[in-house]
Amino acid sequence: MVYPNFKNFLICSLLLWLVAAAAAVSHDPEGVLRFSLGGEVSLLNPILSTDNVSSAVESAIFSGLVTFNEQLEPVPDLAESWAVSKDGKVWTFKLRKDVKWHDGVPFTADDVVFTFKSILDPKVNSVRRSDYIIDGQPIVFSAPDQYTVKAVLPKPFAPFLVHAAMSVIPKHRLAGKDINTADFNRQPVGTGPFIFKEWKTGDYVKVARNPHYYLGAPLLKAIEYKIIPDDNSSLVALEAGEIDEAGIPPKDYSRMKTVKGIKVYESDVLLYTYLGFNLANPKFADKRVRQALAYATDRKQLVGLLFRGLATPAYAPSAPISWAYSDRVQKYDYNLERAKQLLQEAGAENLEFTILVNQGNKEREKAAVILQQQYKKIGVKVNVRVMEWSAILKVVNAPKDPKEFEAVIMGWSLGLDPDGYSIWHSSQYPKGFNFIKYKNADVDRLLEEGRTTIDKNKRKAIYGQLWQAIAADQPYIFLWYPKAVAGVNERVGGLAKPGPAGLFLHIEKVYIKK
Amino acid sequence: MRRYILRRLLQLIPLLIGISLISFLVMHLAPGDPTALFIDPNVKPEELARVRTNWGLDQPIYVQYFLWLKNALLLDFGRSYTTGQPVINEIAERLPMTLLLMIPSYLLTLLICIPVGVISAVRKNGWFDNLFTFLSFAGMAIPTFWLGLMLMLLFSVQLRWLPAVGGIILPLMTMTIGSLAGLTRYQRAAMLEVLNQDFIRTARAKGLPERVVIFKHALRNALIPIVTILGLSLPDLFGGAFVIETIFAWPGMGRLGVQCIFQRNYPVIMGVVMLSALLIVLGNLLADIGYALVDPRIRYERRD
Repeated sequence: MVYPNFKNFLICSLLLWLVAAAAAVSHDPEGVLRFSLGGEVSLLNPILSTDNVSSAVESAIFSGLVTFNEQLEPVPDLAESWAVSKDGKVWTFKLRKDVKWHDGVPFTADDVVFTFKSILDPKVNSVRRSDYIIDGQPIVFSAPDQYTVKAVLPKPFAPFLVHAAMSVIPKHRLAGKDINTADFNRQPVGTGPFIFKEWKTGDYVKVARNPHYYLGAPLLKAIEYKIIPDDNSSLVALEAGEIDEAGIPPKDYSRMKTVKGIKVYESDVLLYTYLGFNLANPKFADKRVRQALAYATDRKQLVGLLFRGLATPAYAPSAPISWAYSDRVQKYDYNLERAKQLLQEAGAENLEFTILVNQGNKEREKAAVILQQQYKKIGVKVNVRVMEWSAILKVVNAPKDPKEFEAVIMGWSLGLDPDGYSIWHSSQYPKGFNFIKYKNADVDRLLEEGRTTIDKNKRKAIYGQLWQAIAADQPYIFLWYPKAVAGVNERVGGLAKPGPAGLFLHIEKVYIKK
Repeated sequence: MRRYILRRLLQLIPLLIGISLISFLVMHLAPGDPTALFIDPNVKPEELARVRTNWGLDQPIYVQYFLWLKNALLLDFGRSYTTGQPVINEIAERLPMTLLLMIPSYLLTLLICIPVGVISAVRKNGWFDNLFTFLSFAGMAIPTFWLGLMLMLLFSVQLRWLPAVGGIILPLMTMTIGSLAGLTRYQRAAMLEVLNQDFIRTARAKGLPERVVIFKHALRNALIPIVTILGLSLPDLFGGAFVIETIFAWPGMGRLGVQCIFQRNYPVIMGVVMLSALLIVLGNLLADIGYALVDPRIRYERRD
């Protein structure tokens, strides 16, 4: 054997050996990750559960056709690839052939079709059903062969790909059973990186490494999810080394940064908080009144007082981390003179109105009081009314016109798709989430165009215009984007980049350092 | 006595049905409904209406009540809206955890509060009495959640002796300290009252040794109020332990009850309400029977 460059070969093999040794030393094959969950797990069936606590556990056990990367772009998961027909109506997914359910049964296209048919079954208590119905017509799923899934849409619908990420459930375990009450919901079987092991109600859930996981066996041996309903307690448990991860409220942020052995990560989340006006009320019918209030809103002060900087001011119904975000919206920078002038022009110098906030949400309660003080400076009198959450929902969801409120502070969590049809389209009133009765023909048209256009760049342009049009009208005053802050024990490695997809996005690559 | 107990037990049936009717009505009159949990811009109102229909919430309230009552009489309390599990299972999973915490806490409380209360009363205004008076008032003034967190910081973060969540010692300590404060005061007051009574003076005048006067004559009488309070605190099993269960991540009944009320999880709320109603009335009955056992003057029927 001849080695043309022996020295290089030696260096290379030495490096390889070092890398291999480092990998072997750095991760503990017996490592167990201990998560905290802020509430009770309801059930472990992704088509039924609606709370994010259950979803957190499900994400380790189940997988879907597509998933999302750190930039929130769709990437292959159970589907190796997919294609859309020219007319945007037929989506074809090619499935991986090497996937097995945790009980050893091979995963096929039948499981995928079964999952979506179950969601569409009116007897199944899945609130995700409307995601698969477009203009009153259901999407038709079929399996032309064992490893191909076809979805036929009644018309082009871009947000479909996000809904195709729904976790798949096993047909052989659930066919012919009442899915709402099946034992499966407490002993789930999935295709994900971890296998369900044990669930003690209200206490913990344990899952173990799936050695046959199609993206490679996870580095962790197991994950324990400990249910700790109190935020302070989970912080204490993190400090005491009993759990590896916990959310950190703003008040504890600077202290936790100094705690030894814990790393603090900040990340943006797809949420925004707003002050919404009932446009059916004559007080807010004039756009200038809303704009005046926007000019009188000192967002910097608001965010500083409420979050000590752990939030950013919001100006549009999208988030900067979304691919469809555009900064080209009118921001109404704090300007009391302009605000007073606009109020005068609208003849609304003696404006007085009531803001509803839900009890228990400290940030919103405080925000209402801060806005009350800020608007006082332009002579507007604000009353704050704190109501129980379900009572507020009853007011804003009441299917009548006009609804009985003046203004309300609420928040929306944004989906992975920028489509805002259910919130802004005029057809979504009085039934639907456009409870402020917002109506703008341009906005309606842009919303319709946005969801029926498949090309991403074209969509980005459409949504840019949409945010501009909405910001000009100020039906909401957009207040802030919160940040998620989490503390993680330094013994944990393999985390994803901090971002809206979460630190544990690639859970199979997370490990415990040795 | 046996006839008395039987009569009282039979009286429970109409009482419990009445409680169930009132709770059912109040629960449904409160604003909000269980599907509010699913609020999300992507969930259409018609989906919520469909789920409500699946749960039978579209029927008139009296139909809903009679359906519930019919099933409840057969011991079927329905299924939880959030988990799909039978209500009986939900409660059966939580109740043992609550008992595991409550029973040792009751026993510890009794073991400590009776001697402390008695000594405080006998040596009234002595250093022992003053110390425990101070501690009791402090104990009553300190909120449970604060005490719990402080104990956690001390024993779990600083000393690293005990687990912050999941262990039984810290919640047991917090709970016992909380109930001790009040009960010690009751025991002291009851003992003081008895010590001032004529029969104690008589006993002393007879020349009985002080030990006999205190333990045989006074203590037996001074236990009556404590028996009442213990009987009446049975319903603390629900709700009473909520704060402690939340702080120490203890999966008991208190958390289940409060969470279901927030979620308007009607079947579970009814299950919990009925069980706690049953415990309250049984607790009362036990307290009445307990009186008769500790106080020979109380008899519920003529002895033949």
